[in-house]
Amino acid sequence: MRVVTRASGAWRSFHSWCGCSSVGASFLELLLAREERAGPGTRGGRRSLPKADMAENGETWGASEAELDPVEYTLRKRLPHRLPRRPNDIYVNMKTDFKAQLARCQKLLEGGGGGRGQGGCPEIYIHGLGLAINRAINIALQLQASSFGALQVAANTSTVELVDELEPETNTREPLTRTRNNSAIHIRVFRVTPK
Amino acid sequence: MENFKKVRTEDSDTEAESPGPFADLAPGAVEMKVKEGSKIRNLLGFAAARMEQPATRTIVFSGCGRAVTKTVTCVEILKRRLAGLHQVTRLRYRSLREVWESRPPPPGCPGPSLSVHKNVPAVSILLSKDALDPGQPGYQPPEPRPDGGGSQGRWCRSGSCEGRT
Repeated sequence: MRVVTRASGAWRSFHSWCGCSSVGASFLELLLAREERAGPGTRGGRRSLPKADMAENGETWGASEAELDPVEYTLRKRLPHRLPRRPNDIYVNMKTDFKAQLARCQKLLEGGGGGRGQGGCPEIYIHGLGLAINRAINIALQLQASSFGALQVAANTSTVELVDELEPETNTREPLTRTRNNSAIHIRVFRVTPK
Repeated sequence: MENFKKVRTEDSDTEAESPGPFADLAPGAVEMKVKEGSKIRNLLGFAAARMEQPATRTIVFSGCGRAVTKTVTCVEILKRRLAGLHQVTRLRYRSLREVWESRPPPPGCPGPSLSVHKNVPAVSILLSKDALDPGQPGYQPPEPRPDGGGSQGRWCRSGSCEGRT
């Protein structure tokens, strides 16, 4: 049985995980890929997804038989198409190269200060969901380390609701939905004037 | 490296660790060290029990490396169970030193040992029942319990953000 994950309505701020920082892969795809590899044990507190969900040979789970892979296009269609709110939002994922994401952040920070030349500290927000939390923290700390004290970081955490759709192969059953929670981190990196 | 096995991991960052990550904010906090293999239900059972006592005002969750996500998850679940907690999140690097020794150890001499230095990202999250200074970097006020879903873009304050429900 396969599972498709889509963002619930309450998750509007993060559906652009596929946004500027990836090369076309959406975070939902990586979420699926991650689950296939890692299993349900690493999710935010919910261990309800049995391993059989990840199997592709249609093992039974609950009341459903072999269920069809809710084809990729369903995934994409349901992705809300809200792009990153502002140009200084970076969404970190596990597919894109770490160095590329780091370079992108650095370019934003340098460009934001020198390019516009307006007053105020340029700041960027780095968002990470699930497994990408670690990478987001790494990027933020690397930025801070390479800035010689000119940058400060501040982090906030939140929970994001994800909805899995299980579409039955046989069309006789209703599609099931399952919601689960995942952790997210938002790191604000901003320039401070040295006193 | 297949001939070596990890003997121990030492935390070579001890001089920064001894005062604790939040010594300035909460000297007497309950400290929860989250490791990669920690079970969330065990951690939260203990944490919830301690926080239910009115005498405990603050609690700190810290984790590094692979345990960072688990730390954040624990904090989020605890915030769900106990509303009205103020949060301060701090990020830093922790340096670890792993010692690997050859396996099987040759008889007689102990064999060569490798020492690996790693710099891993670490997160420390302080949860407090009392209000904290909002000017602290990483401060997060308690959620006002909206529709029960995930938090909305809390930094969405400019007009470019679409309307939130």
